Amino acid sequence: MDFTLILEWIIKGFVLTLILLGGFAYLTLYERRALARIQARIGPNRAGPFGILQPIADAVKLIFKEELTPALADKLLFLLAPVLTVVPAVVITAVVPWGKQSFSLFGRDITPYIADINVGVLYIMSIASIAVYGIVLAGWSSNNKYAMMGGLRSTAQMISYELTLGLSFVGAILLAGSMRMLDIVEAQKTMWFVVLQPIGTGIFLIATLAEVNRAPFDMPEAEQELTAGYHTEYSGMKFALLFMAEYTKMIAISAIGATLFFGGYREFWFLSNTVFSIDHTPWLGPVYIFIKIVILLFGMIWVRATYPRIRYDRLMAFGWKLLLPMSLALVFITAVGIILAEQVNKNLIWGIPVLSILVGLFAVGMIDRVLRRKDNARL
Amino acid sequence: MTTPAPVETLDLSTLLPGFVTTDTRPGYSGWVVDKNHLVEFASKLRDEFGYDLLTSVTGVDYLPDDKMEVVYHAFKTTGGPVLNYKVQVPRQDPIEVPSLVSVYPGVELQEREIWDLFGIIFTGHPDLRRILMWEGFEGHPLRKDWKEAYFEEESKPFKSRWPDGKIVQAENNNKFSDNIAYPAGFDPEKWIPEGEDALYGSLAKYEYTSQDGIKNDHIVVNLGPQHPSTHGVFRVSAVLDGEIIANLKPVMGYLHRNHEKIGERNTFLQNMPYTDRLDYLSSLSNNFGYALTVEKLMNIEVPERAEYIRVIMAELTRITNHCMALGALFNDLGTFFTPLIYLLEERELILDIFEAVTGSRMMCNYFRFGGVARDFPEGILEKIKGLVFERLPKKIDEIDRFMSDNEIIRSRGIGQGILTAEDAIRFSATGPLLRASGVPYDVRRADPYSIYDRFDFDIVVRQNGDIYDRYMVRLEEMRQSVRIIQQAIKGLPVGEFQTGKPQYQVRVPAGESYGRVESPKGELAFYVISTGKPSPWRYHVRAPSFINLTPYGHMCVGQKIADIVAILGSIDIVLGEVDR
Repeated sequence: MDFTLILEWIIKGFVLTLILLGGFAYLTLYERRALARIQARIGPNRAGPFGILQPIADAVKLIFKEELTPALADKLLFLLAPVLTVVPAVVITAVVPWGKQSFSLFGRDITPYIADINVGVLYIMSIASIAVYGIVLAGWSSNNKYAMMGGLRSTAQMISYELTLGLSFVGAILLAGSMRMLDIVEAQKTMWFVVLQPIGTGIFLIATLAEVNRAPFDMPEAEQELTAGYHTEYSGMKFALLFMAEYTKMIAISAIGATLFFGGYREFWFLSNTVFSIDHTPWLGPVYIFIKIVILLFGMIWVRATYPRIRYDRLMAFGWKLLLPMSLALVFITAVGIILAEQVNKNLIWGIPVLSILVGLFAVGMIDRVLRRKDNARL
Repeated sequence: MTTPAPVETLDLSTLLPGFVTTDTRPGYSGWVVDKNHLVEFASKLRDEFGYDLLTSVTGVDYLPDDKMEVVYHAFKTTGGPVLNYKVQVPRQDPIEVPSLVSVYPGVELQEREIWDLFGIIFTGHPDLRRILMWEGFEGHPLRKDWKEAYFEEESKPFKSRWPDGKIVQAENNNKFSDNIAYPAGFDPEKWIPEGEDALYGSLAKYEYTSQDGIKNDHIVVNLGPQHPSTHGVFRVSAVLDGEIIANLKPVMGYLHRNHEKIGERNTFLQNMPYTDRLDYLSSLSNNFGYALTVEKLMNIEVPERAEYIRVIMAELTRITNHCMALGALFNDLGTFFTPLIYLLEERELILDIFEAVTGSRMMCNYFRFGGVARDFPEGILEKIKGLVFERLPKKIDEIDRFMSDNEIIRSRGIGQGILTAEDAIRFSATGPLLRASGVPYDVRRADPYSIYDRFDFDIVVRQNGDIYDRYMVRLEEMRQSVRIIQQAIKGLPVGEFQTGKPQYQVRVPAGESYGRVESPKGELAFYVISTGKPSPWRYHVRAPSFINLTPYGHMCVGQKIADIVAILGSIDIVLGEVDR
C-alpha cells in the first residue's frame, strides 16, 4: 500500500461525498417539484430557472438560523446525534460500484468504486444498523416527549425491518453466489435479479421505505401526531444534518437496490449487444446507475404523495407477521430452486419467480388478517 | 308552504304535581321545573316520554328579576319539535343547580361552560372546572353585571364613538390597563401562574388496566395548543400507557372571544356578520341558523325565491365544509396533502360562486331577516349548474375511488374510535358523528325548516360508528347535497328575494326562540331572548363542534396515540366554533 493509493481513496471518497451531498440538495428540489406535480401545484420555481437555486437558498437559510439547544437536553449527545446519523448515510455507498472497467488517469488505474470488499453486502447491513443510534440519541437527548417517542418508535421499527431487509438481500446473494457487489452486478449480465426475485424486490423496496423512515412508514417523524418526532427540538444546521442524513440514505439505499436487483451499472435489457452496452462503452456505467437511482427515488416520492401513514402497531405487525415470514419463505424457495437448476434441469430456475409470486399472492390475501385485529372486524 | 309539525300537547304539570309549571311569560314556552326535582324530571322525560337527546343547556341572567335561569332543550331522536324546560334560582352566590351529567352525559362540557360564564355551580358534576376562561380568571363574564375592559355602554351603537360627529376610537381614550379592574390584592407584577393542577388533577382520575397485565408508569402528553393536527389552537391532554391512551381530556378556550357577550351588545342585525366567524368554514349555515331564529321571534315569512337561494347556498356550504373535513381527515391519517389539495380544488370553485353571490369567499354575511341580502347575479346559475350537474358528481366519485378502498385508510378507519348509537345519543352528539353511529337523525328531516320538506334526498346513515363510517357519511352527504341543489335549481322561482324593505334596525318582539339548522358539523342552534329592545337580552350559540367534543375522551381511551388526531379529524371541529 503506497501513499498514492491512500491519496486516491481520499480523493475518490471526497468526490463521492460531494456527489452525495449535492445529490441530497437536488433530491429535495426533485421531491418538492414531483410532489407539486402530483398535487396539481407548481412547486418552488422562484429561485433561478426551474427553481434550481432553491436548495442553495434553503442551505443559506438553515446556516444562518439560530441554533437552539433545550435547557435540560443532554448537550453532548444532542450535538453528537446528527453527526452519528449523517456519517453512516454517507459511508454506506463506498461499496457500490459505479462502473466496471477501471480507467487510467495520471498513469494510474483508477477503479470506479471506493472499495471492492468481498463481503460488500455485509458491510451495507452493518453500516445501516449504526444509523439508528443517531435517531435514538437525538430523540432521547432532546428531553422532549414527542422526540423520545419518535426515537423509541424508530428503534423498534428499524430493528424489525432490518431483518427483512437482510433476508431480501439473501436472494440476490444466493443467485450471484457471492457477497461482493461487483460479482452480483456481473451475475445480472443476462437477466436482472428482479425477474427471478420479483417478490424479493418488492419486499426490499418496502423494507427500504421503513429503513429510511419514508412515508407510509415515517413513524419516527409522524408529523400529525408527534409534530416532528425525533428532530422536534432541532434547528439550524443540526436539523439540516438530520435532514441530510434522511435524504442521503434515500440515495444510498436506491443505489444499493439498483445494484442488487436492477443490474447496477449494467445497461438496460433492450440495449444489450448494442453499442450502448457496458461491455462496449464502459463509461456509460455511471449514467445507467444514475438513471436507475432517479427512477427508484421517484417511486419513493410517489408513495409519499399518495399513501396515508400506517399506524405504529400495524407497522410492527406488518413487518413481523407478514414481511419476515414471506422473506424467509423466499430464501428457502430461492435456495432450493438454485440447487434444482444446477443438478436437475436448468429451466427449473423459473420455479423461483413462479413460487415466489404464489407466496406473494398468499401474503396479499393475508394482509387483512394481519393489519386488522380480530376484535376490530366489521360487524 | 311548510306544514307545521304536529305539536304534542303534553301536560307535564301532572308529572310532578306542584314542582312543574308552565312558563307563562309572554313569548315564552316550555316548563319551569323546581330545582330539587330536576334530575327526576329529566330522567322521567327521557325514559317515559322518549326525549333522549338533550341538545342544549344554557344559562340566562335575569338581572332585573334577580334570578338566574338554566334552560334545557330536549328532543326525540325519532324527530319532532323541541321541548324546553327551565330551572330558576335566586341570584345570590353560591348559585347551585343539580347537574344532569348522570342522566345526559352530553351536558358535561356545557355545564362547565355555564359555570365558567355564569358562575352557576352544578352539584354532582364530576369535573367542574373553567373551560373557556383560564383558571384564575376573576368573575363570570356572561353575567349582566360583569363589565369588560374598555366597557362603554350596554348596547351598540356606542354614543361615545362620535360625540361631535367625528369617530373617536375608544382604545385611544384609554391608556393600557387604565380601566382594567384587578381583583382585590392582585398585583400583576408579582403574579406567578398557578400551573394546571386542576387539569392534571382531573386527568389523574381514571380507571385503566393494562392489556398485558404489566404495571407501567403512565406519562402525560399534551398535544397542542400549537400542534399541526389539532385544526387550530386546540389542546389535548392525554395519559399514555406506552402508545395506548389511558385517559384524555380536551382543553379549549384558546380562541375564546366571548362571542355571546358581544352578541348581547350588538343589535340583532349586527350579529349577522359575527355568526360568520363561528364556524368560519361554513358561514352561510351559521347565517341560516341565526336568521331562522330571529325570524321565528319576528314571525315573518320568507319569499319563495329567497328560500330556494338559502337552500342552494347552505347545501353548497355543506359541500365545501365536507371537502375540508375529509381533506383534513386524510391529512390526519398521514397522507401528504394530496387528497386535501384535490378536495380544495373543488372547494375553491364553490368559493368562487360565494364570492360572486355574496361578495366574500369565507365571511359571507349574506342572509337577512326575511330573505337574503341580494339576488343571484347574472350568469351565476349556469356556473352552479355546471358544477352540480357535471363536475362535482364526477369529482366525488373520484375521491371515493381513490380513497375508500385504500388498505391503509381502511385499516386506520375501520373499528377505530367507535361510538355506539346509545353513547352517541347520551353524549348529545349530532350531525355526521351521530349518523355514522346508526342514528338516522337529521334536523332537515326530523324537524324540517325552510323548504327542506320539498326535496327528495336521503339521510345518510352508517352502522358502525367508527372513523371510516364518519368518512363515508360525509362523502355520501356531499352527493345528497348535490342532489338537493339540482332539485332546487330546477325549482327556483322568480320573485322577491326579501320581505319588505331592507332595514338596518329590526323590531323584535319580546320572547325566546330556539332555532336550529343542520349545519355541516351537526345541529347548529341559536337561543335568542328578546326584551323588545334593539339588542338581544341573551344570544346563545349551540355549537355543534363544541358539543361533539364531549364524547371525544370516551372514544379515544384504549386507542393508540396516532388515533388521537384521526378521531379528532373524524369529529370535524372548527375552533372558531368550539371556543366562540
